[in-house]
Amino acid sequence: MMYVQLAIDSLLLGGLYALMALGLALSFGVTNILNFAHGEAIMLGAYGAFFGLTLGGIDPLLSLPALMLVGFLAGYALFRYFLKRLLTAPQVNQILLTFGLGMILNNAAAIAFTADMRSANPSYASESIRLGEAYLPMGRFIAFGVACVMAVALLLWLHRTEYGRACRAVAQNQLASTLAGIDLKNVYAVAFGISIAIGVATGVVLSWVTPVTPFMGFHLLVKAFAIIILGGIGSIGGAMAGAFLLGFLETAVAYFVPEGIGWAEGVAFAVLFLILIFRPRGIAGQAAEG
Amino acid sequence: MQLTKPTLHNAAFLKPGLSLALGCLLFASAYVPARAADDTIKIGVPMELSGRFVAFGTSGKRGVEMAVDAFKGRVANKKIEILLRDVQSDAQVTVQVLNDLIAQKKVNLLIGPISSAMVSAAIPAWRQGKPIWISHGSTTPRTEEEVGAEPRFFHTFPYSYHYQAAMSAGLKQALGSGKTAAILYADDAYGRAALPAAKKYFSEAGFKLGVEELVRSGAADMNPVLQKIRFSKPDVLINLVQTSDLATLAKQIRIAGLETPYLTDGVDIFIEEWQKAVGDAQEGWIGVAGYFPGLTRPASKDRPDLFPSLAEWEAKFRQRYNAAPAYLDVGAYSATIMLLLAVDKAGSDDPEKVAIELKKLDVQTLLGRGHFTPTPSGTMNQAFQDLMVVQRQGGKNVIVYPNDLANGKLIPRTAK
Repeated sequence: MMYVQLAIDSLLLGGLYALMALGLALSFGVTNILNFAHGEAIMLGAYGAFFGLTLGGIDPLLSLPALMLVGFLAGYALFRYFLKRLLTAPQVNQILLTFGLGMILNNAAAIAFTADMRSANPSYASESIRLGEAYLPMGRFIAFGVACVMAVALLLWLHRTEYGRACRAVAQNQLASTLAGIDLKNVYAVAFGISIAIGVATGVVLSWVTPVTPFMGFHLLVKAFAIIILGGIGSIGGAMAGAFLLGFLETAVAYFVPEGIGWAEGVAFAVLFLILIFRPRGIAGQAAEG
Repeated sequence: MQLTKPTLHNAAFLKPGLSLALGCLLFASAYVPARAADDTIKIGVPMELSGRFVAFGTSGKRGVEMAVDAFKGRVANKKIEILLRDVQSDAQVTVQVLNDLIAQKKVNLLIGPISSAMVSAAIPAWRQGKPIWISHGSTTPRTEEEVGAEPRFFHTFPYSYHYQAAMSAGLKQALGSGKTAAILYADDAYGRAALPAAKKYFSEAGFKLGVEELVRSGAADMNPVLQKIRFSKPDVLINLVQTSDLATLAKQIRIAGLETPYLTDGVDIFIEEWQKAVGDAQEGWIGVAGYFPGLTRPASKDRPDLFPSLAEWEAKFRQRYNAAPAYLDVGAYSATIMLLLAVDKAGSDDPEKVAIELKKLDVQTLLGRGHFTPTPSGTMNQAFQDLMVVQRQGGKNVIVYPNDLANGKLIPRTAK
């Protein structure tokens, strides 16, 4: 029976990780900017859901579309008016600027909301379904569902819409895309806006899974980076595969190794280390070798 | 008129005048700060006002502010000057701040920081000048090992073993001997430091210790550990996990429907933000405390102006800060008042005299008896180690141990 529970836990953790990494994979894959403020988008999404529920009585799932729209507009404007200046700058400038932006956002959140931990508690967050000896936690199952919907919607958008195809074209060859008449900077801004919207969605589902604090983003960002490297930088499918692989590895080690939950992250990062040595492009990413 | 050239004679004439003027200046410059210093009692307050432990430092600061106000800003006929510094929850900054307060500002009295990690970082810097140090925090017994028998170190917060001693005694009384217990501890400084004491005191109280599991600080999924505990079917689950990790754990225990009837913690379950964060999952949790909001305690008979009833003090606190006081707020207030009482009796901030007066103090504070005694491990001055065992029942705190304070009985929680 432990194997059934292991499968459930792995799948649900992988779903959360996938949601964390999807937005980051999109923004880096298209714009080539490493967004170190992505964790803060997650944090602000979580606060949005929390305050929506506690102050307005709005269920986080109902506030999700509105919060994503706000996230998209903020991300679009941020790129259009600030980050586009970094497109030709050295990557270290991009890192410093987005890292600095993240610091400003989490400190502003600490001042505005205080450092108190919070958590949204919609009714389904503490529900579970018994499956014999195993059980399925509803809150995390819903989070998994949101991750799946986001991933499918993103893939459909990338493959079936004009803007999505433009994004893929830009990711593959910027020069050719420009020659084909694609408005590069607008595509970048749209992709960045969508990545922030997905970050906000991640925060919304995390609002009932983990405590919400101003500094919750950085830890999640590190994990998300590990996942997109594992999956292959710039690959949405790779990020999904990386997320589920990491979720499974962490859970399996936690179940079968004594005091394994302490080792889980170490083992997962050891696998990441091995993949980087033997397959530097990750599971499904673009070539990264010299 | 011819200007006289400077001559030896002229120079010799000017010398006494210049010397006198310089002397006056030097005297004045030395005299003014000396007078200012004589008129004030400086207290260094290094606190975690930002960073990871900001909640601790905020409480410490509030407690000190309330205490200084209770003394109307003066002690021993001198003005109290609080040198509040932010240690940023960073060990290196803590050392810099301590060095500045002790070597540059020459403070003889220190209160703070609070967290175990910052106190540990502060100890070597404190040794440079050894001012009187009111340490209202640091639960790790490593602090005791590092400080040893220093007569100017006054610890006013229980160590983690005090929690385990009180909790095991309370559970033994309620459940009897022969019960089984599992331990779940965090892979951080708190969890690892508390583990030996939990094993020692629960074993001595007759509990059979079974599964001992570690949880990673910051983990989003603690379910694998909960499943292992579920299979071992303990009567008691001893949780050595803090703050946001405890919130995640409590929610996941409820979601997993873990059947363990008794779940223990330290002091986090009394924090309003934890209770709000976990919602219904708080039901049945057992903690240890010297204080929790809503506790009743009468005013001190000797100094009701400084130690009013808890209800009166809480009302003042809520009016000032628009928040419920935490254990740290009440404790920092009580500890600061004790320090100021000692300074008042000593008539100055001379560390030797203040240490003697602190040792003599025996007052009824907001946290009960305020009196310093040595600890078994060899430190000289420990106060406020008496704790109550309290269970969350129907969203309220019910004292279940010791008997003279109890207002209810321990009841097993049920999985939903």
